[in-house]
Amino acid sequence: MLSLPFLGSLLAALLPSRARDAAGLVAGGVALVGTILLISLYPSVANGLVLRGEIQWLPSLGLNLIVRLDGLSWIFAFLVLAIGFLVVVYARYYMATEDPVPRFFSFLLAFMGAMLGLVLSGNIVQIAFFWELTSLFSFLLIGYWHHNETARSAARMALIVTAAGGLCLLIGLLLLGKMAGSYDLDAVLAATDRIHASPLYAPALFLILIGACTKSAQFPFHFWLPHAMAAPTPVSAYLHSATMVKAGIFVLIRLSPAIAGTDLWHFSVTSVGLVTLIAGAWAAIFQQDLKGMLAYSTISHLGLIVLLLGLGSPLATVAAIFHTVNHATFKASLFMAVGIIDHETGTRDLRRLSGLYRFMPITATLAMVAAAAMAGVPLLNGFLSKEMFLAEALGDYSDTALDQAMPYLATLGLAFSVLYSVRFIHQSFFGPPPTDLPHQPKEAPPWMRLPIEVLVLACLLVGIFPAATIGPFLASAVRSVLGDATPAYSLAIWHGFTTPLLLSFAAFFLGAAGYMLLRDRLNAVPVTPVIGRLKGRRMFETVLSIVITGARRLEGVLGTQRLQPQLRVMVVIVCLAGLLPFLRYGYMPGKEIGTVLDPGFGVIWIVAGACALGAAWQAKYHRLAALILMAGAGLVSCISFVWLSAPDLALTQLLVESVTTVLLLLGLRWLPKRIEEIWPEERTPWKVRLRRATDLSIALAAGLGMTLLAYAVMTRPLPETISRFFVEHAYPDAGGRNVVNVILVDFRAFDTLGEITVLAIVALTVFSLLRRFRPAQESVLSPEQQRFQDAFDEAREDRKVGDTLADYLFVPRVIMEWVFPVIIVLALYLLIRGHDLPGGGFAAGVTMSIALTLQYMASGTRSVEARLRVQPVHWMGLGLVIAIATGLGALLFGYPFLSSWFRYLDLPVFGKVPLATALLFDLGVFLLVVGATAVILIAIAHQSIRTPRELPARPDPEPEQA
Amino acid sequence: MEIVLSLGIGILTGSGVWLILRPRTFQVIVGLSLVSYAVNLFIYAMGRLKVDAPPIVGSGLADPADYVDPVPQALVLTAIVISFAMTALLLVMLLASRGLTGTDHVDGDDGE
Amino acid sequence: MTLSWTHHLIVAPVLLPLIGAALMLLFNERRRLLKNVIALSTASALLVIAILLLRGAASAGFAGEPATTAYLIGNWPAPFGIVLVIDWLSALMLVLTALLGLTSLIYSLARWDRAGPRFHALFLLQLMGLNGAFLTGDLFNLFVFFEVLLAASYGLLLHGSGPVRVKAGLHYVSINIATSLLFLIGAALIYGVTGTLNMADLATRIPLVTGSDLALLQGGMAILGIAFLVKAGMWPLGFWLPRTYAAAVPPVAAIFAILSKVGIYAVLRVYLLLLGGDEGWTASSGEEWLLFGGMATIAFGAIGVLAVRTLSHVAGYCVIISSGTLLATIGAGEGAVLAGALFYLVSSTLAVSAFYLLIELVERREGDTALQTGGAVFDDEYTIARGDQEDEIGIVIPATIAIVGGGFAFCALLIAGLPPLSGFIAKFAIIDGLLGLDDGVATPIWWLIGLIVVSGMATLIATTRAGIDLIWTPSDKPQPVLRMAEALPVGILLAVCLGLMVFAGPTMRYMERAGQSLTDRQGYIRSVLSAPPAGAGSMQP
Repeated sequence: MLSLPFLGSLLAALLPSRARDAAGLVAGGVALVGTILLISLYPSVANGLVLRGEIQWLPSLGLNLIVRLDGLSWIFAFLVLAIGFLVVVYARYYMATEDPVPRFFSFLLAFMGAMLGLVLSGNIVQIAFFWELTSLFSFLLIGYWHHNETARSAARMALIVTAAGGLCLLIGLLLLGKMAGSYDLDAVLAATDRIHASPLYAPALFLILIGACTKSAQFPFHFWLPHAMAAPTPVSAYLHSATMVKAGIFVLIRLSPAIAGTDLWHFSVTSVGLVTLIAGAWAAIFQQDLKGMLAYSTISHLGLIVLLLGLGSPLATVAAIFHTVNHATFKASLFMAVGIIDHETGTRDLRRLSGLYRFMPITATLAMVAAAAMAGVPLLNGFLSKEMFLAEALGDYSDTALDQAMPYLATLGLAFSVLYSVRFIHQSFFGPPPTDLPHQPKEAPPWMRLPIEVLVLACLLVGIFPAATIGPFLASAVRSVLGDATPAYSLAIWHGFTTPLLLSFAAFFLGAAGYMLLRDRLNAVPVTPVIGRLKGRRMFETVLSIVITGARRLEGVLGTQRLQPQLRVMVVIVCLAGLLPFLRYGYMPGKEIGTVLDPGFGVIWIVAGACALGAAWQAKYHRLAALILMAGAGLVSCISFVWLSAPDLALTQLLVESVTTVLLLLGLRWLPKRIEEIWPEERTPWKVRLRRATDLSIALAAGLGMTLLAYAVMTRPLPETISRFFVEHAYPDAGGRNVVNVILVDFRAFDTLGEITVLAIVALTVFSLLRRFRPAQESVLSPEQQRFQDAFDEAREDRKVGDTLADYLFVPRVIMEWVFPVIIVLALYLLIRGHDLPGGGFAAGVTMSIALTLQYMASGTRSVEARLRVQPVHWMGLGLVIAIATGLGALLFGYPFLSSWFRYLDLPVFGKVPLATALLFDLGVFLLVVGATAVILIAIAHQSIRTPRELPARPDPEPEQA
Repeated sequence: MEIVLSLGIGILTGSGVWLILRPRTFQVIVGLSLVSYAVNLFIYAMGRLKVDAPPIVGSGLADPADYVDPVPQALVLTAIVISFAMTALLLVMLLASRGLTGTDHVDGDDGE
Repeated sequence: MTLSWTHHLIVAPVLLPLIGAALMLLFNERRRLLKNVIALSTASALLVIAILLLRGAASAGFAGEPATTAYLIGNWPAPFGIVLVIDWLSALMLVLTALLGLTSLIYSLARWDRAGPRFHALFLLQLMGLNGAFLTGDLFNLFVFFEVLLAASYGLLLHGSGPVRVKAGLHYVSINIATSLLFLIGAALIYGVTGTLNMADLATRIPLVTGSDLALLQGGMAILGIAFLVKAGMWPLGFWLPRTYAAAVPPVAAIFAILSKVGIYAVLRVYLLLLGGDEGWTASSGEEWLLFGGMATIAFGAIGVLAVRTLSHVAGYCVIISSGTLLATIGAGEGAVLAGALFYLVSSTLAVSAFYLLIELVERREGDTALQTGGAVFDDEYTIARGDQEDEIGIVIPATIAIVGGGFAFCALLIAGLPPLSGFIAKFAIIDGLLGLDDGVATPIWWLIGLIVVSGMATLIATTRAGIDLIWTPSDKPQPVLRMAEALPVGILLAVCLGLMVFAGPTMRYMERAGQSLTDRQGYIRSVLSAPPAGAGSMQP
């Protein structure tokens, strides 16, 4: 039964947007079938047993879908389904023909399902779950006419308020579950004492109350309900009178056995209810919009119910449930009636309506009966529950001012409700015929009236024969809540002349009199006096905007978009993090006596230090100088690698060094000229000084930290490392004498694979980025010297432009062209010997690419590419493929990826030559490195022969290369 | 030896960090490469220092004590390559941002 | 003994994309169809393999058996060679990656792959990097794969070029280069003290470290940890994140959604394994930092979500929120709340990824296609880059708005963690776990729970604001063209989230086991260190 509405909703959603009848049928059918099912289940519920169905969902967290049907949930479910059905019928005729009703009906059904899930749930987390669902669908329903702004903002407000409440409820329920030790409803209800004893009780209760209050529009969260009236009237009739707003009530009743019965509960709930009752009724009096009036009256009636729950006596609970049902019936019918008025006359403004009786007698009659029920006129259901309420209000619970004042305040509230009921009826239906109505009022179609007729009939029947009609259902519902504590109560109309009766007559009198006195003045009042000041909506908006602006400011303070602060923070944190352990354990250098200091070493490092500092000093204004100094520092680190017997590192570092330098040199050309910034009044402002000071200290800290770390480690004995294995197995098992290289291409070849992949990726990135490269305007022109030479060529007619350039590079070009093959041979040599002597694929690759670069530098891009075909990307691809293939070869023999194989070959001339699969792998590395380096260098080199284009969006012109 | 090397590492790092915190892209590049020198040396230093140790193992069963710990060297090699790649990338990005934003400030605008 | 093919499967997630990319380099850019085929088939193969691995992992590790399988690269015995390790968690991450990869790829084929050259290759390499990072059991190898995935992410971020991307990229690259240097320092320190790089081996050696070496070791650990946290985007190290992700083209941003999770994964892996021990100082180290840092991150993320104006930035801050939640939960639970955290990780990653894909559809304006082209560098480098308005396969579905809107609502719910979607279950699981920690729930935990709820609220407010403006507000814009290739991926992602919700029970059970396998250090160590090489050592003739 639970899944039924959702399926229906899906079905309706799939219908084409014109199929109003089909959608209506689906919706109505679903509701009707549901109702019948429910009724068929009644007998078993009636004799007190609880139907349970459980679906395993999230057992490990005690969250299962439990469908649990007892008296209370039965009566609520009945309301949901039956009224749902009536609303569907009504809506079918209410909604305009051009509306895409299938969407409407699908939302409506989905909401129905959520509501059912809520009332039928036997697991408190499930309650929160469906609770939020109802919020969501009400959001969609309120925003159904999302083309007008009020609907949008109202929907958003409703969603945010109720969803927030829902989250509070969730936490509250989780706490409840923690206290009870289970999320199962029965377990929770059974654990009353433990819950009351727990320290978590107060926060849990508080959170749950917030949830209930937001949903049931209790003060101070009531403000969203009147705005929700922007929804289509059927929605208001369904959600905002009968069902959704009752969800809070339901949860309170449902959980009252577990959480009620303490003073905290009594006072908080009672006072909230009382305030809402009075304030709502008071506001309702002054509404000019019919729906607005009904909304506020709903608020006040909900307040009445909450108040009853707060009282907490068994009879009060009875009254609460009873009144919930009654309110649902008469308020729904009233909303529909108002909908008809709106539909037929085109306005809901009380000041413009009057004398409608002669146009729509039937509707008028129905509305009058319903309104009378709302006002609590005898022989109607409203009367009975109201009498009960008064009776309870009279009873004393705690001798406090609240308790003393309750009867009077209750009467006052009722008087108000009488007042606005009378006003509603009298002003809209009686008096002179209306003027200036949008269109001529007439009676509504019978189908549209039918739902109201049914509901009003219900009001009457219940009002006259309570015991016969509602009695048993009420009884079972009450029993399911109170259990054995169910009190004896009679649903008779006539209890004799009791105080409640007197009070209610007083209420009638007051209300009627009030209307007589104020009727004209009421129409004049623009806003509700006294509480009209606190406009819920405006407060909400302001709060929201304050939150958002506050967030913006905070984000500005806590976050940053600039790079330097981020790096600064990072370095500082790292320093602290590195420092912390030493604060705990103290810093001490190791005992190991290090290697003796060679003065030469000291000297080169003094140079290196100078270089580094110089680079740091010069990098801003004299880039070239900085670059050279940096290279110097790099060079020293190469030397020290040699010194410390790591030739491989030295070799690689040296090669990389040179390539990097070339790169940066190529790049320098595109950077802007820097002129020393002259601050006003000749001195750098203190802010800048301060920043530099901080940076300086940070830099010092970082440097010091590294020094200490390095020293501490170097002076400690080397622990037993994994390298023993490498050194011992390098030659016998991997056939290589150069352990480092063997590690790279065999033991840890996987690293190398990843590393060359990085190289490839970067190469790709570089040129895909440079394809978009647009040099800044001032650096577009060719450099001065070149211009000078070209001018010289222009001057002589026997010369072409660029000759001079060619000439003055003549000698170096020849040399480099001669050198070219030599370097290639060197590269290959490095590659071959890599396994046994310093060298290896990477070094070889870089060497190779240096050779290429030399060519480019010497004889210019065009001529080089004219002569030898440069396709570095393909080389990269090939390199990767070879490397991978080498690794995959092992798989054929059933060995893991990259397993190596080697043997020594006896060649006639060369003698013993090692032949290892690792060598193949290294070849792959070699190719890739050549490719990648070439791509990067050439891509940058190409920039200088490119004509800058203004519009990058234009597709490519003809290739730029010869 | 150790003391000198560690001091050297410290100086490289310090000047590198200083440059990283500067507002101009070129400074950042130089800074990062300085720091990466430092880090390479640092990694190498983790294998402790040895002078005049043979880089090549003989044919017989080799004793690790005679050699410099090879693992950090391998790591440094990988690190060198990667930092080279990154420098290249950063350089190109520097050029691109210079071309597209017209300034060489790290934030793409000259507002200090 | 030779290895079964299933065993070789472990290395496939790294190799396949690499091979695919390598092949693509051999063909020039004009062969788009070919490249699409290669890329798509690779991505789908990855998904299949990942699922196979998942099933393999899920079937293992009962009755006290360690759930871990090691694969010795190069057939060198651990801890000397490099090992790939697959267990419940890594298998899970593989599946997640493959899923995101496939969907984003499909999405990109609609138009974005033409925004610049070599997109497919870079994309596959990105996947390779991610998979490698999730699989490797070696600290330095982890570094290498971090570099691979970072380099690829640079490439992808800059895909399409343009000032915004270059600016954001400059920050992203500089920060991450610095971070990589930190990673190196940390790893080197750890090696210098313990003398090994294999994680299992480290886990055995670290408890033995004593005296003043401890300071060095912990220093290394801390520096390493910071490198990870920068990746994860923890406050105040994560300012670069929203801007960078917002700058990337949608499919790239979608795959980036898992990038920040790599940091989280690394924290989980390294710290639970290396410092998870109960004896001595390892018992409690760094958790409180994670907890408070994570909470600060959540707060910052919530603030940011409210503050920013564009949806793509909102999504960025959602990433930050989810990182914060995860970090804080890990820090708070010390492994007890892992199941919920993992569930949340999966759900939020999927949601954010789908969100990034949707944003572009929601905000799409006519004419604004970030496709530009420039001159070629090499003559084989011409992309057929065009304004992509001609020859559209896309059909204007009347219900475009409805579909997009529905998807948007889905994502909003997922991210805000409201019912009925998996986001709710994830948050419920986390909060439930946090409450269940012990009877006297500590104050920070209360704060954490509050923050989680509030951040959800903030996301809700932000998304409804944007969503209402973009979807409900009537506009005269022509209905955007929605191609199947764009609707499908979003659909898949959301469907998976729905599946997570429906099959929450089994999923949660899996997550719990994954959590256990993470905390079962001995099992991990045993199964890695005692993994037998195939045959006798290396393959001698």
